[in-house]
Amino acid sequence: MKSKWSRSLALLLALALIASLSVGCAAPQEPAPQEPAEEKPTTDVKAAMVTDVGGLGDKSFNDMSYAGLQRAESELGVQIEVLESKEPTDYESNINQLANAGFNPIFAVGFLMTDTVIKVAPQFPDVNFGGIDIFFENPTPNVLGLLFKEQEAGYLAGVVAGKLTAMPDVDPRINDKKVVGFVGGMEIPPVQKFEAGFIAGVKSVLPDAEVKSVYTGTFTDQQKGIEAGKSLIEGGADIIFAAAGATGNGTAKACKDNKALFIGVDADQYETIEGIGDTIITSAIKRVDNAVFLTVKDAVDGKLKAGENRVFGLAEDGVGLAPYHDWETKMPADVKAAVDKAIADIKAGTVTVPESK
Amino acid sequence: MRARMPDAVRDSSADPDARREAAEHRFAAEQERVRRAISVATPFISVAIAVLVGSLVILAAGKDPVAAFSAMFRGSFGGVRQIGETLLRATPLVFTGLAVAYGFRSGLFNIGAEGQLFMGGMAAAWVGVMVAGLPWAVSVPVILVAAGLAGAAWAFLPALMKARIGAHEVITTMMFSYIGRYLVSWIIAGPFKDKGAIPQTPMLPGTSQLPRLSDVFTFIEPNRAHLGIVLGVIAAFVVWWILKYTVLGFEARAVGFNPTAAQTGGISVAATTVKSLCISGTLAGLAGAVEVMGVHHRLFDQFSSGFGFTGIAVALLAKNNPIGVIAAAVLFGALSAGAGTMQLDADVSQKVISIIQGVIIFLVGAEMIVTWAVGRLRDRKGGDDAAQ
Repeated sequence: MKSKWSRSLALLLALALIASLSVGCAAPQEPAPQEPAEEKPTTDVKAAMVTDVGGLGDKSFNDMSYAGLQRAESELGVQIEVLESKEPTDYESNINQLANAGFNPIFAVGFLMTDTVIKVAPQFPDVNFGGIDIFFENPTPNVLGLLFKEQEAGYLAGVVAGKLTAMPDVDPRINDKKVVGFVGGMEIPPVQKFEAGFIAGVKSVLPDAEVKSVYTGTFTDQQKGIEAGKSLIEGGADIIFAAAGATGNGTAKACKDNKALFIGVDADQYETIEGIGDTIITSAIKRVDNAVFLTVKDAVDGKLKAGENRVFGLAEDGVGLAPYHDWETKMPADVKAAVDKAIADIKAGTVTVPESK
Repeated sequence: MRARMPDAVRDSSADPDARREAAEHRFAAEQERVRRAISVATPFISVAIAVLVGSLVILAAGKDPVAAFSAMFRGSFGGVRQIGETLLRATPLVFTGLAVAYGFRSGLFNIGAEGQLFMGGMAAAWVGVMVAGLPWAVSVPVILVAAGLAGAAWAFLPALMKARIGAHEVITTMMFSYIGRYLVSWIIAGPFKDKGAIPQTPMLPGTSQLPRLSDVFTFIEPNRAHLGIVLGVIAAFVVWWILKYTVLGFEARAVGFNPTAAQTGGISVAATTVKSLCISGTLAGLAGAVEVMGVHHRLFDQFSSGFGFTGIAVALLAKNNPIGVIAAAVLFGALSAGAGTMQLDADVSQKVISIIQGVIIFLVGAEMIVTWAVGRLRDRKGGDDAAQ
């Protein structure tokens, strides 16, 4: 009977739809907070963060900030919360909601929230606001800018690139032209500092090297990253450092497809770019998680001091170089030694990395 | 007798023509009634199904849907501040919803409202700074006119291409949307960048901003809703009036209904197309202006989270009815405003909201499925009736 048949088909389809929805959608839910087996220290500090429109799952600042909060939850026993922003309109309401719900400190992730934090902070004088990548020109007593010495991470990446580009025997993808490339997102200070540090790092080990820079003007358009990567490779570059967010993932693809090498940024991109393998040498990372964790720890210890901009460098474990992963074994000891020396020099203050070109 | 079935009538060839005509007439009237009833019911059914699907997802994640939706309701209508948030988020959607709806009524799919919105926002951010020093009552209308013109201008070329050489507006407005989007992106990072590191335009002076409702009417509790929502409601009624009572609107509807007939009836399809798409662009441009003037007070790259595209969903849900657009925009505004509370109080990811929005859009877009299903139900019921 036709109608009976189509009715059961409809039912089947509906079930399949629901099943696929629940499977497809249950997965991206944030993992439930892990309950540690041992009793955890108790504190009444409640820390929270507001993501920018990138949201959780960006494998970058938002995820790293959240990792910092989660570490604070398991190690310090603080209660944590995260509100994701779908549009810029959400920034203010999300921060407001968290402040009203008694969270303190509250982290705003990304410079896009600068205006909002400046506007909201005076309404909650008892709450401390941490701004990831936000520089406060005239910080009120309850705001804390959390910034990073990107140039130091860039410098280390430059040391690796400068050393390797002069060693064509190590890998067939390295040519003898001594040209390395830099792909930037928007021309904003964190990116410019990465670039300046990278150039300084390259020149410190290979003074006659050439560093070619391209700015794409975007952190999201992967196609532009591919094009920038291709043009640099055509220009002779064999190692490209991209400080361009998701745009840089395009550059990584261009490197993989055109037999060049890649250095990632912000997070350990060996983990975040699918199938990158040994195309990536290392990443210049910003330890946003450390900055968040240390700030929460200060709050728990009752010694959080806001009203200023705090800069996290190598010495504070705020920036660094990611593991070499697939390159671990074939990386010449000479390169590793040069990196270690650069780290020691920067920490000791004998080398100061320039912030601008 | 199953008079609804014309075949049955036609079969009995002995019937006089008059009877057949009367039966067909009744049939047509009945069909029209059903069509209208379905048309009115679809949005409500779609929203109900979407909430149901959302509940299932919440259940699948091991959370309580009742708690989630009551938290969402608290977050969007639970108090003056929350209602303010809902209206704040509904404001740009009223304008983009109207923009898309007006296009649809004229048979045009303005898929590029987002680009027109960016141009409107750009004009507002620029003129808003230029007119600093003028009194509020002068500068605000000037900015709004400028933004409307900018949006219209961005729709004009695609409209001209459609009218002259028949280039389809779905392609051209979309492409223009990209051009506008990236042009603005360049302008705010380059020639019109505020001092400082962040790529954004300078802050608008107070006289160029749309004040919050609670600042104008001080008896209202402080909240973020601004004068833009009032402008949006006015715009909706103006669009409704244009469509219903003006020659302009009549021509637009006529062309939308049947361009060949309209042309035969002496209406210039080309001219109407240009006018309609420009009006649509004006409304989208105003959406950008109210966001800049009422919320952010400056322009930056991500100031729109795709309001132009959400406007398509709003228009579809409202069945292109200008007054319905207000309701649909408030619904989408409420979903957005309540999402945070839902995550905070019920520990349910805000992504559920995106799922609900997606299902609404899908169902409204796929109205034919609902129409078909309802039609089948009626058929069965009709069959049962006949059997008795």
